[in-house]
Amino acid sequence: MKKRMKYRHAVLMASIATTLLVGCNANATKSNSAAAEKAPAPAAAMAMGPAKLEPLGLPPIPADNKQSPAKIALGKLLFFDPRLGGDASTGCSTCHEPDQGWAWAEDFSRGYPGTVHWRNSQTIINSAYNPRNFWAGSASSLEKQARGAARGGVAGNGEGDLMEARLALIPVYAKAFKEVFGDETPLIRNAWRAIASFERTLVQRDTPIDKYLQGDKSALSEEQVRGKALFEGKAGCIQCHNGPMATDFNYYNVGVPPSPRWETDGLAQITFRFEQYAKGQTQEGYRTAKEDWGYYYRSKNSWDKGKFRTPSLRYTKYTPPYLHNGQLDTLEEVVDFYNRGGKFEDGRTTNFTKTKSKLIKPLGLSDDEKDELVAFIEAFSGEEILMEKPELPDYAPLFTKAELEAAQEAK
Amino acid sequence: MGVRVKTGRTLLAVALGLSMAVGAAHAGSYPDIGPLPQIKISKAKAELGKRLFFDKRVSGDAAISCATCHDPKQGWSQNKPLSDGYPGNGHFRNSPSVVNAVHKKSWFHDGRIGTNLNDVTRENITETYIMNMDMRIMQERFKQDPVYVKMFKDAGYGEPSNGSVRKAIPEFLKTLTSRGAPFDAGKMSGAAKRGLKLFKGKAGCIQCHNGALLSDGKPHNTGVAENFDVFLDPMNHQAFIAFAKFQGIPNYMNMKRDPGFYNITLDMADMGKFVTPSLRELKYSAPYMHNGMINTLAGVVDFYNRGGGKDSRKSDRLKPLKLSKKQKGDLVAFLESLSGDRLTSSEHVWSKSYPDEYPAIQNWKEARN
Ligand code: HEC
Ligand code: HEC
Ligand code: HEC
Ligand code: HEC
Repeated sequence: MKKRMKYRHAVLMASIATTLLVGCNANATKSNSAAAEKAPAPAAAMAMGPAKLEPLGLPPIPADNKQSPAKIALGKLLFFDPRLGGDASTGCSTCHEPDQGWAWAEDFSRGYPGTVHWRNSQTIINSAYNPRNFWAGSASSLEKQARGAARGGVAGNGEGDLMEARLALIPVYAKAFKEVFGDETPLIRNAWRAIASFERTLVQRDTPIDKYLQGDKSALSEEQVRGKALFEGKAGCIQCHNGPMATDFNYYNVGVPPSPRWETDGLAQITFRFEQYAKGQTQEGYRTAKEDWGYYYRSKNSWDKGKFRTPSLRYTKYTPPYLHNGQLDTLEEVVDFYNRGGKFEDGRTTNFTKTKSKLIKPLGLSDDEKDELVAFIEAFSGEEILMEKPELPDYAPLFTKAELEAAQEAK
Repeated sequence: MGVRVKTGRTLLAVALGLSMAVGAAHAGSYPDIGPLPQIKISKAKAELGKRLFFDKRVSGDAAISCATCHDPKQGWSQNKPLSDGYPGNGHFRNSPSVVNAVHKKSWFHDGRIGTNLNDVTRENITETYIMNMDMRIMQERFKQDPVYVKMFKDAGYGEPSNGSVRKAIPEFLKTLTSRGAPFDAGKMSGAAKRGLKLFKGKAGCIQCHNGALLSDGKPHNTGVAENFDVFLDPMNHQAFIAFAKFQGIPNYMNMKRDPGFYNITLDMADMGKFVTPSLRELKYSAPYMHNGMINTLAGVVDFYNRGGGKDSRKSDRLKPLKLSKKQKGDLVAFLESLSGDRLTSSEHVWSKSYPDEYPAIQNWKEARN
């Protein structure tokens, strides 16, 4: 019931209010992006054969969480159920709305009530293929991601024991957890497994690019074919956006500037500072950070500041705004951004100039070429995937009055 | 966390258990029911604590404040059997008055916090089914409110921090102590005086309700009936289940009663025991008992006159009292003489408004966070 973490941090912060906050994130893993940056992608690609786009196969299913229709159906209900969150208002679908690209169509995601998030909400579509989740790759599986999302202070702000108690008081869930997982009473960790199973059904493999790569040359327009050549050639996008998901899943700083909202929005400033704590910044880092340090929070290597996971280009037609802090509203603007060598129209760019990828430089694309590139990016999206919100099952008492009376008699 | 609870559990059990044996052996000599000790208060800190106590931004979704459940107009409690919970859940116990909480040695109906009000404050703020606040976010909220920045500074705390929140609220709670009760002022009515005699004599209340707070601070089983709404309303039941699971109560899913002190010792002998509450300032904090099962003070006196409720582990200090109607009235008059001012003026209640928004920190890029 109680937030164990919260307590730990409360104590921590009380006692070290002004001292170091080092290394709370013991799970910082070794940077593989460092390697990617130091050995530029073309060289790396040459070693493994040239980077290329590929059609999307079936999503990997972990051996310890096999798919089943009953599990998926349960996961779907749970995904849409705001009772898997603190005040029963904010569930997964709250920030991953099917008709907002299974994301949230503002720069920063909405947050838990009373807060705002500090990053752009990512789409659930095809998240099944991500070896790690989140903009900076901090979750290593969908199962762990779901747990983290439901509990994070500016996300679900839920707590395991209470959410578990809620599930036990919803007969439809009690029955389903028993059938699917054999739980006598629902276990919260199995809720995350069911949700992950549902997410693994939210995939899109029949986009124009998939059809094209599988041999249907009519699947792309001529404009898109020219865009593909730019993507793989002059514009150099393929260096990072490659493979079946159009991402190498590595971390780069492509030049995105900090969000201007942090200068003008008090609520956003609150979350900004909270995130520095939550992500284990040093005291000095907490005091001075003015932008999202990205992959650094995980690796703690200075050369990873401002790096983010190359996002998939799939389904992006439906997921504006773009970039980790949602600063660009259209794909056209993103292409312009790359064409300027990783700069915004007003000249703003990352302050972490040292870590900016050498692969990003002015491209010299003509207006027609930019249009072609945008048209091609759209080929990574098929039909919009929409879904009715399911009707959620009700609570019911666990005991009858007669049972309670009998217990009272027996006292 | 687990470790903390277990340590707390044994310490409390030892402390409360030992002195209980002494009390039971000796009818007759009990700590005097006298005036409450004076306490020193830091004005600036208490003023800050007052603003915090009434501030909804202390809760996770900024929807409730301490005063939601400890409402000055409802005797600094809630006038319904079971307390509200955090939005999205209910609660399984009655919200107690926080007046005189500063004079206690252990807190909550089962006495599960035996350290200090700093811990009680932390517990209420972070507890999922109470305020569900990640204190790191709370701290950043207050650093974003210029009024707090100044108040924390003026109180000598430096910049807002969650550690100081946990000091300032207890400082405010120190200001909430009995004031002007006829009993303390020596202005008891004749009925109240007769009631006091019964209280110490025939009715035997003094055995448990003694000392300045009229509480021995120890757990007893008086056999109060369960409040079935705890278990029949899933909103309340979910809070109870989460609580019972965290306390490590075996078979918590099947539990059909409030375990009381048992959740601290896990000893069946303690099942259904609750810590003797203070009898001060009860006039405005009805209903009574840990689960609000008795509506009036007259009802409580009737309950004791019947020898308490039904429980195989009920304290053997409780026997039918055979009080006359008049004697019962006298006892109630005495209980009422223990209530004084309601403490509802701006001296104790934050009456100014709170900002709707957090102003942005100007020159953010240059300012240190
Ligand atoms: C308050 C809004 C909010 C809620 C609630 C929320 N999310 Fe998210 N989600 C986000 C944001 C914002 C991100 C990106 C966060 C980051 O990178 O730090 C994200 C990222 C993700 C990702 C990563 C996708 C990728 O490409 O790596 C997945 C998967 C996901 N969320 C699933 C869930 C699930 C499952 C739940 C419910 C248990 C949930 N989310 C609840 C806002 C939310
Ligand atoms: C050096 C690797 C790299 C190269 C080269 C690159 N990208 Fe990216 N791309 C990224 C990264 C990393 C991000 C996320 C950046 C951020 O949010 O800070 C991104 C973001 C995007 C996005 C936004 C996606 C979303 O969901 O928000 C689009 C669209 C995109 N890139 C298209 C392109 C195109 C078109 C090109 C070629 C002109 C290109 N990229 C070249 C790494 C790269
Ligand atoms: C959602 C309702 C709620 C809120 C909000 C709340 N409380 Fe309480 N409080 C309770 C209940 C119910 C209890 C008794 C709990 C128990 O016995 O398990 C309690 C107990 C207490 C006690 C112990 C009283 C005693 O005599 O043992 C104190 C002191 C207290 N609360 C102070 C606070 C403070 C300070 C805040 C704000 C930080 C706060 N409460 C917020 C409901 C609430
Ligand atoms: C065996 C010890 C004991 C004796 C004797 C006793 N009480 Fe109590 N009293 C308690 C306990 C324990 C509670 C709390 C019970 C609960 O919450 O379930 C309580 C609760 C109360 C309450 C309710 C307070 C509140 O805030 O809800 C009142 C009033 C009260 N007692 C008055 C009396 C009177 C009058 C007598 C004598 C007739 C008396 N008590 C005798 C232990 C005792």
